[in-house]
Amino acid sequence: MTTLLEAKEVTKMYEKAQGPSLKKVSFSVVEGEFIGIMGASGSGKTTLLNVLSTIDTPTSGDIWINGVNLKELNKTGAADFRKDNLGFIFQEYFLLDSLTIRENIAVPLTLLKQHPKKIESKVQSLAERFGIASQLDKYPSELSGGQRQRASAARAIIKKPSILFADEPTGALDSSSATELLNALLEANQELHTTILMVTHDAYAASFANRIFIFKDGCIIKELLKDNGSRCDFYESIAMEIAKLDNERYGGGK
Amino acid sequence: MNTVSMAYKNLKKSFLFYAHYLFSVSLVNTVFFAFTSFSMNSVMLEKISTDGRVESMCKGISIFLMVFVIFYMAHSNRFFLKRRTKELGIYALLGYRKSNILSLLTFENILICSGAFAAGLVLGAIVHKGIVIGITALLNLSIDSSQIPLFNIGAVVKSACFILLVVFVLSILNSIFLLKTSLMELIRFEKKAEKNLKFHCLPALLGFIMIISGYGLSLNIFSGTKSVWASIGYYPIGLLTAVLVMFGTILFISSFLPYVMMKSKNNKRNFYTERKIITIPNFIYRIRSNAKTLIMITLLSAAALTVSSVMALSVYYPIAAVSRIAPSEIEFRMEDETQRDTAKKIIGQYVSDDEVTFTQTDIYKVTSSASNLPMEYSVGTAKGDSDNEKILRKAGFECISYTNYITLLQAQGKDKVAASISELSDEECILVKYQPNSDDSSEIGSIYPLIIGGKDVPLTVKDVTLKNPLSFANSIGTLIVSDSLYNQISASNTDVTSILSINGKGIKDNEALYTELNNKLNKASCLQGHSHRINEVISLNSSTFLLIGFLVVLFFIAVGSILYFNNISAISDSKPDYEILIKMGYTNQCIKKIIRKQVLAFFSIPFVLGMLDCIFATVVYKIALMQNLLGNNFSQYVPVVLAVVMTSIIYLIYYLLTVRSCYKMAYKR
Repeated sequence: MTTLLEAKEVTKMYEKAQGPSLKKVSFSVVEGEFIGIMGASGSGKTTLLNVLSTIDTPTSGDIWINGVNLKELNKTGAADFRKDNLGFIFQEYFLLDSLTIRENIAVPLTLLKQHPKKIESKVQSLAERFGIASQLDKYPSELSGGQRQRASAARAIIKKPSILFADEPTGALDSSSATELLNALLEANQELHTTILMVTHDAYAASFANRIFIFKDGCIIKELLKDNGSRCDFYESIAMEIAKLDNERYGGGK
Repeated sequence: MNTVSMAYKNLKKSFLFYAHYLFSVSLVNTVFFAFTSFSMNSVMLEKISTDGRVESMCKGISIFLMVFVIFYMAHSNRFFLKRRTKELGIYALLGYRKSNILSLLTFENILICSGAFAAGLVLGAIVHKGIVIGITALLNLSIDSSQIPLFNIGAVVKSACFILLVVFVLSILNSIFLLKTSLMELIRFEKKAEKNLKFHCLPALLGFIMIISGYGLSLNIFSGTKSVWASIGYYPIGLLTAVLVMFGTILFISSFLPYVMMKSKNNKRNFYTERKIITIPNFIYRIRSNAKTLIMITLLSAAALTVSSVMALSVYYPIAAVSRIAPSEIEFRMEDETQRDTAKKIIGQYVSDDEVTFTQTDIYKVTSSASNLPMEYSVGTAKGDSDNEKILRKAGFECISYTNYITLLQAQGKDKVAASISELSDEECILVKYQPNSDDSSEIGSIYPLIIGGKDVPLTVKDVTLKNPLSFANSIGTLIVSDSLYNQISASNTDVTSILSINGKGIKDNEALYTELNNKLNKASCLQGHSHRINEVISLNSSTFLLIGFLVVLFFIAVGSILYFNNISAISDSKPDYEILIKMGYTNQCIKKIIRKQVLAFFSIPFVLGMLDCIFATVVYKIALMQNLLGNNFSQYVPVVLAVVMTSIIYLIYYLLTVRSCYKMAYKR
């Protein structure tokens, strides 16, 4: 297994913040992993996602993805890097309202200058896999939240990115839509070997991952591994860990 | 927190957005106040208007201005209201009554209008002062500017009343909006998804056909007497053309353009590119909600551009035509030899003799036995076709010699024309046309037998020319014949008129000299002055030009601002889209190109269509309603070209400003 992502002592300070949002965070991700990142609000999850995805730059430390040190990229280089290597899913879907679902999913491939016929066939097959083939010519406003998020996932996966960043992808979905989406992501992880880094609050969503980092105050305080256990068992251990953290917070509050 | 301080804080918070609005409203107020000051400036009006024409024009234009300002303010107010519905919804959720919200909006409007009124007052007063100085210099008026106050109290009161009216109208519109919108709609207003309209082939095609037919009809006017304009009538065809172009424009923008864009998506190779996949759907999406605004701006553009072009043409044309109406600097009909000496004596008081040339031309009227004679032969001989019906002209050719013609051309500084004219034989002549024949036919080759000493002497027209050496007041149907034939005519003809043409740099643009000559000569001398005529035209038309200029300037401010705010608003709504595009790997450069294209599409539609409408309408106006003294001489179109170039520059400046603000808006965190 080759290492796809490596973060070494990554620190991020914001000018107006009292303390660092990330404190010397180090970890590595190998190809094909499904990583869950959990933690309370303000623990540094989204900051981590932003610096890993070249949207923001760390104050210190190094990040390598696919052997590229992100520090060495200029603005254009970072844009090209995102175009070639990264995919994104967001809680608010962020589909482009003026484009149909077909066009939305096709955008990353047009950026890679792929042949129109190839684009169309890839969009069609991925839409079938995500169960939105009949919605392709509709606009985002005509779809349900679940369908929109699946379209957003299809858009993120279509270019087969080296790594897919998902920021609370189930945050705005009902439970059945959330399960459908998570299954789709799991399928993509297992069948297309897409490496996924998913930020979530939800223990159920996190149980779809193989490994969990739990964040607190800008540091990884715990790492949970699924190993060969069932998802159900993993869910319970995550839930227990979260409950423990909550109890600590309660204790701290007393 | 009371409503006033809330209104103030709101404006302060969104200062950048409102600053542009305040700026545009201030400019609108500046134009309005400058215009009102001008229309109430009795000192000025007394000098430039003798028959009350300028005053009545002022009244008419002031109504236009007021309607236009109210329309612009109402449109902008609605625009800002739409952008703030969510915020208003939150006020309502917090327990504010609709009457509280209305008073908040009214206070904001009062603050903006007061600021704009104050700025408009100061700037308008300065602009008005500038206009007074400009016109005084242009028309050589003797005006004591200390008599004109910087702030005309009447104009200040009128503008203040008008601003109050605007605030009142806006409050009524706001209350209608608030009454019609429920709390839920207020909160969800911004989020409301656009309806997915289907663009059908039939209206799209109809729009295209109508607009092309309209333009085709206007071009048909070039066919002269064979055109539908001449055969059916200028009024019905003009009306039909206007209706076709207007409805064509509406369908062209609302159906044809989005339909073509939809179809262009079928060309996959062209569509699946990093920019087009964003810009084409975005254009279709935006045109759904902006079609009405675009149509309105396009029609306004067309109307304002046409008015300014037609006005520029009608003001400039008489000036350009003076080269034909009065080709010599000074010219008059000599009734006796003493008049020549009188003129020389008067001119001698102003300039030395060697700076001036005096050319005497003896015109002999000769009749012809030909059955088919040019229009110029008999023009002005019957009641109804003469400008001055008290003096009826006798039919006939007015013959002058070749040498005399060349001498006159050279004296008038037309050396190149003189050099291009070859000598005539006794059987040849050159016919001076009043204007080109409407059917493009020419008299070249025609044979006109002249009756000289009771005998027919046939003359062949070697050439026709628009370079008349004498003014039309003194000679129409001028025929240039060889010197020997001219001598033959003079020997047997007593119907002679002597014209004295005076040329030379020294007497140019000398109104005092002209006035003195005019006082010394009687009416029958038909005194003509080149520079005098130009000054007369300028003084007659400058007020019209200025007053319509107010309207055009106001139009540009309003249209530019509407386009500016529409684009800024669209880009601000699409901010999350640009963020996601950047995350997908679009470079900043590419995003900028996308923004530029999006803005360009919305600027180019009213500009291109407005420009086309203006060009075709001006062509129709020129051919149908104006004389053609200058033939196809390009110089007469110079002001139209100038108007077009200036419009293009103004649009370009607005476009660049909008793009710059859009970049800022898109990248603002």
